[in-house]
Amino acid sequence: MTMGVDPCVGVESKLQPYLDRQLTPGEVSWIERHLGECAYCRERYHFEAKLRDTVKTVCCGDPVPDGLVDRVRLHCRGHRSE
Amino acid sequence: MLLVADSVELMADATPDEAEEPASDSASDSPDRAQFEEEALAHADQLYRIALRLSGSPQSAEELVQETYLRAFRSWRSYRPGTNLAAWLATILRNVFLDEARRQQRRPAQESFEDTTEYYLYNQLAGSSGEPQEAVLNKLAAGAIVEALADVPPAFREVVVLVDIGDFSYQEAADILGVPIGTVMSRLHRGRRALKQALAQRAGAEAS
Repeated sequence: MTMGVDPCVGVESKLQPYLDRQLTPGEVSWIERHLGECAYCRERYHFEAKLRDTVKTVCCGDPVPDGLVDRVRLHCRGHRSE
Repeated sequence: MLLVADSVELMADATPDEAEEPASDSASDSPDRAQFEEEALAHADQLYRIALRLSGSPQSAEELVQETYLRAFRSWRSYRPGTNLAAWLATILRNVFLDEARRQQRRPAQESFEDTTEYYLYNQLAGSSGEPQEAVLNKLAAGAIVEALADVPPAFREVVVLVDIGDFSYQEAADILGVPIGTVMSRLHRGRRALKQALAQRAGAEAS
């Protein structure tokens, strides 16, 4: 499998789908082989993975308010008896 | 130019069939419905987090979740058992959110960011302080990251929220949004780029 003339450009364009696990096994092994050989891409890959992880951790870290499910039940019950 | 209004139109086809139950129906009348309600309520936390990132405030998020369940319980017969319940609920959540946005007549935001390299944020952080980029990322306050996500135009943000925060696959997001999977991929791509631009701005502001 080839990813164009410059493999680093190929990796850059496939990095997000790679992190999303949306690539074919052939593409995955091509990228992983390249990441093993190329410090430039490896450093950027680590940054992108860390960024993804950080955004997810922060944005999923909000506490769900206590009693949310109870209030949902109450809300729905109130409308049902209208 | 992509507007939220486009996705509003596209959504019309993907709306779950909201054939409503008679108002007198109650969960105790039907064991199936009671079971459905319990299974649906198990997804409340996930829906709340999506609602929070779509709406931006805890109060709006809770109202969105309540309205979502109200509609879901009324149209529970249109849910096909065995299919993805979280995605079905997220579809309703998004409809509720769009209805609300329409009622408040929010102007759809237009994309204002330029296309950038994948490594835009990495490159921006490189020059700023002499620290490794990952260290700069670690120092970004949680509030700055949340604000940066809120800056992403809505049509792109909702895809980022569904995939990166809601853990839905490309295909599930496509089903929820009622758009082709290619549209999900291109919006996701642009949404992530927009997020990087917003983060770069905030990282610069915090460093100075």
